[in-house]
Amino acid sequence: MITIYHRPRTLDEALTLLAQPNTFPLGGGTLLSQPTADPVEVVDLQSLGLDSLTKKGYDLEIGATCTLQTLLESEHCPAALKVAIKLEAPINIRNSATVAGALVSSDGRSPFATALLALDAKITMVSDKSSVISVGEFLPLPRRGLITSVAIPLNTKFSFEFVSKTPADKPLVAAALAQWNSGRTRLSLGGYGQSPLLAMDGPEAEGLDSAARNAYHEAQDDWASAEYRMDVAATLAKRCLV
Amino acid sequence: MNITLKINGVDHGLDIAPSSTLLAALRGLGFHGVKFGDEGGLSGSDTILLDGKPVNAGSILAAQAEGHNIATIEALGEHPEQGWKLSGGLHPLQKAFIETGAVQCGYCTPAQILAAKSLLEKNPNPSEAEVREAISGVLCRCTGYLKPVQAVLKAAAEMRGDTRLDWDTINWDFGTPKDDSSQSDTPTPTLTGVLVRPRVVVTPDKQKWQTVGKPEIKVDAIKLAQGKPAFAADFEKRGLLHAKVLLSPHAHAIIKKIDTSKAKALQGVAAVLTWQDIPRVVYSTAGQSDPIPGPLDTFSLDYKVRFVGDRVAFVAAETSEIAEKALSLIEVEYDVLPAILDSRESMSSKIQIHDEPEFVNFADSNPKKNLAAEIRIDIGDVEKGFAEADNIFEAEYEVPKVQQAHIEPHVVVTYWDEDDRLVIRTSTQVPFHVRRMMAPVLGLPVKRIRVIKPRIGGGFGGKQEVLIEDVAAHLTIATKQPVIYEYTREEEFIAARSRHPMRVKMKTGVKKDGTITANAMYALSDTGANGAHALTVTGNTGHKAMALYVGDGEYRKAPNIRFYADIVYTNTPPSGAYRGYGVPQGYWPLDRHMEKIARAMGFDPIDFRLKNAIHAGEYHPFSTAWNEGREPRPEIIHTVGLEQCVAQGRAAIDWDDKYGNEEWRRLAAPNKRKGIGIALAMQGTAIPYLDMGGASIKMNDDGSFNLLIGATDLGTGSDTVLAQMAAEVLGVPLEDMICYSSDTDFTPFDKGAYASSTTYISGTAATKAAQIVAERIKIRAAMMLNMDKHDDIILKDRKATAPDGRSVSMTEIALDSLHKNNQEQIMGVASYVSPVSPPPFAAQFAEVTVDVETGQVTVDRLVMAVDSGVIVNPLTASGQIEGGMTQALGYAVCEEMRYDEKGRALERDFDRYHLFRADEMPELETIFVETFEPSHPFGVKAVAEIPMDGVAPAVGNAVLDAVGANVDDNPVTPEKVWRALRK
Repeated sequence: MITIYHRPRTLDEALTLLAQPNTFPLGGGTLLSQPTADPVEVVDLQSLGLDSLTKKGYDLEIGATCTLQTLLESEHCPAALKVAIKLEAPINIRNSATVAGALVSSDGRSPFATALLALDAKITMVSDKSSVISVGEFLPLPRRGLITSVAIPLNTKFSFEFVSKTPADKPLVAAALAQWNSGRTRLSLGGYGQSPLLAMDGPEAEGLDSAARNAYHEAQDDWASAEYRMDVAATLAKRCLV
Repeated sequence: MNITLKINGVDHGLDIAPSSTLLAALRGLGFHGVKFGDEGGLSGSDTILLDGKPVNAGSILAAQAEGHNIATIEALGEHPEQGWKLSGGLHPLQKAFIETGAVQCGYCTPAQILAAKSLLEKNPNPSEAEVREAISGVLCRCTGYLKPVQAVLKAAAEMRGDTRLDWDTINWDFGTPKDDSSQSDTPTPTLTGVLVRPRVVVTPDKQKWQTVGKPEIKVDAIKLAQGKPAFAADFEKRGLLHAKVLLSPHAHAIIKKIDTSKAKALQGVAAVLTWQDIPRVVYSTAGQSDPIPGPLDTFSLDYKVRFVGDRVAFVAAETSEIAEKALSLIEVEYDVLPAILDSRESMSSKIQIHDEPEFVNFADSNPKKNLAAEIRIDIGDVEKGFAEADNIFEAEYEVPKVQQAHIEPHVVVTYWDEDDRLVIRTSTQVPFHVRRMMAPVLGLPVKRIRVIKPRIGGGFGGKQEVLIEDVAAHLTIATKQPVIYEYTREEEFIAARSRHPMRVKMKTGVKKDGTITANAMYALSDTGANGAHALTVTGNTGHKAMALYVGDGEYRKAPNIRFYADIVYTNTPPSGAYRGYGVPQGYWPLDRHMEKIARAMGFDPIDFRLKNAIHAGEYHPFSTAWNEGREPRPEIIHTVGLEQCVAQGRAAIDWDDKYGNEEWRRLAAPNKRKGIGIALAMQGTAIPYLDMGGASIKMNDDGSFNLLIGATDLGTGSDTVLAQMAAEVLGVPLEDMICYSSDTDFTPFDKGAYASSTTYISGTAATKAAQIVAERIKIRAAMMLNMDKHDDIILKDRKATAPDGRSVSMTEIALDSLHKNNQEQIMGVASYVSPVSPPPFAAQFAEVTVDVETGQVTVDRLVMAVDSGVIVNPLTASGQIEGGMTQALGYAVCEEMRYDEKGRALERDFDRYHLFRADEMPELETIFVETFEPSHPFGVKAVAEIPMDGVAPAVGNAVLDAVGANVDDNPVTPEKVWRALRK
């Protein structure tokens, strides 16, 4: 249960509040607004000006409190990323949910996190000091601190493929592929587990389908078998290349 | 904390808890247009506009909204007639939703309208896809989204100032069916894109009618489009307590000890009840007529729990948060018992789920074998039929457990009124059954209970259960205070009822010429932990599905049909009634089986089906053998529009160009194939000799009429169509009928909304009541016109007109009868019970695209041609078909409820249990092929349930057509297709 609601005006003020125990940053509130057993305090980030979207060189810097819908409607947002964002949540939730909040609360079924993992997105976090870590480091072990922005590269060829029971249902299997001009190729898989899996990060696309198959060899749950996911992940990975 | 919210331009100061959601704050302030649908925001019924954007009020804190502009439906418009006060009228979106039939139950309507408003403010000329995207955050379980999308496009056009389409000038009738073929009646396709109204191939009988058969707007649409406080949870009462229920974490256990002292000591808690505190009364929760055709095996609270989600204790507290906290303070010691989770183990298991001495058997139920019901029906000589067959086809199929998923959860408010009578204001389909069945459970006589059914946010059979009324009522009795109990979405999934899952075996004998010589089905049906609806749901699986294909030639005269079923208990949440009532479970195996047989023997699948399908003038085969546990009475089917339905549907979907056309199959991407499938279906219309509905009509001073009906409109529009029938008899427009329904103190009895019965049964009662009133009106008119006879007087256009042309108005007759001469209250009361259950028929077509590498199935198009007799209101009827097809689409491809090894539900929310959204729907098309059913004064048959039957098998058959993959258990998920492709 939320016992205290804060709405700080400055980043410093927010960081001071967040240093207190059982105190959490509140982005869109789509998850934190729900009842919890333990008493918590929340720090609403909406007045900190962290909702900007800025193209910086080859990167798109996305403010932590930028909503998923704002990113979706941005002219800079890659088309395949838009597909993933649409699958992440319906429009009403996208109007509230923030980019940082979506990452923090994501699991392996998250199309958005899967996409950002392939894009090797960088997260800027502040606590007592500022640091930049990759989404790949962050997702398996979310850490304390305040995300202020997320940066994605715009100089990649990015694609996203998925299989789901209906066109708008969360994917059973999703594959996201980012390719840089240098040949660097990153493939991530979603639809299963606690966080998306990085199946491949190599200098070229050779062996992409095998990497996908291997990455999901234990991806068994109540919604699909590992056998199915392995095969389909390989298929989707190949489709991403086309 | 103190905050100020700017709502609809007005600042509202309020003192709230920091944890309060915006939804709670708004409803607390009286903005009831914003509704609870689920905790995760996926239903979207709590949509408001925050700075012009649609967001879920239940998914943000009220404090977050401070400093922002909040808009709710209450700001949009108002009823155009406000007496002496000038009114701005309704918003164009509200008007369009009303006029197009986009308002069904109306629970999600305010949310859809707000989402659309946000779109139109940014984009006044949106495409259909943009409209679908804009409202995709709002789940609608009633409409199939077609009419809401059309409403938004219509409003957009009007707001842009485009030439307004005059709906009344559209010819929505497409001619009368001919005896030979309906191909020439194929509607003009270009009309359907803009036409809100469905295609109707009309029967000549209704051409002369003024109201029946016309797309009248729903009588409750205006209030629902405004978000008026019309639903159970919108009712406010001083001192209202909030109920919560502690649910079992175990699938099967004895409660050894339960300590509620800490919970009772919590400040704000008014009562905590366990099985030790209330009378132990065995009953059934099935909302059915007396006597309940099933075992009595349920207690309000028991010392034994039988599924994860079963009740352990009730709490009432000042707030739902306190009640929730109190639940966590109840200490329970369980003796955990082994559980049965697989229906195949039930009858042979040593575990006995119901060992309570109070258990009351019905028919062949046997708790020692975990058997809730048993059915053995043999029609003709089935073994002889098999012996005479050239080919025998046997296969096994499986259908899953699925949720009704009405967007308004179960919700009830109870209170003692000033006469110390218990009022139960509840979202139910069966108010009169609630009153009768709750009386012994609560220790009250029937006469001291009043049940009121307000508007319902969808029911679909889930509210044909007397499910939660007892919880609030027990707590009101314990506390003397009003109590509200509203299910969470998780409770809907783990504690409410659902569709029976079944394992079905088919065996069919066929001659070389395609004649079915015998057809047998065995169903192992899982009723879960209680046996409500166990016998009757599964009985209908055979009664309706297995009646369709009787065979041909001599076999048609004496069909050989067998339906056996065992309905067994398991330690899973109880099954119950879900729209279709067992019949969709029958059509998946039956029609998948027919498809396989046709293909195996090289028959055209349509010709094979029609060759063996039942004809008009033949006996309903099951009417000679089974009647829901009562005496069977043979019944002839008089109207069968099946061939017309097939002809219309196959033309609409271009069957002849697509079926067997390899070039068309490959039109999709290289890794994809298209496919087309068909399924036929028949349902029933009410339960003969049992279902009864009553109606009363009285005339008012101005010539208007109060129509009081017990019938339960759960969003289907039954209030409207019943009023249309009465208005037709009385010769007045629909607006002169003031309809009030479902209040056990004020309206006549009606068995409630189930079994596709309301238009037929209650409609006949309304018609008969109107005929009584019409007779009195004619007599009065004859007196006023100094005529000796009244028989030739015609009631039309609010007048009683004599053959010589003289007339008196309804107002004059009303004033004369109430105030001037030989005063009397002109009124009529009637009821009706039918000796027959005339089946509606349908041809369901599906077009799919299948990914041959991943197994993903995309349903591109659904066409349903339906013979529901005469269509009283094409808007409401087509809304039923579209919404039903959409629910059935979920049954076909994505919906299922499963449990882990400890009986815990895997699907508990709308994330894991996906419902189709507006932006992912296939194209839907409805065609009505009218027949005139002679047993009804306006020739109607049922429409409500039949759309549930054919979609899943048609999709399964289309997948087979596309890629040759046979999936025998629905839903047809990608992995199942993938596996079938690799066999």
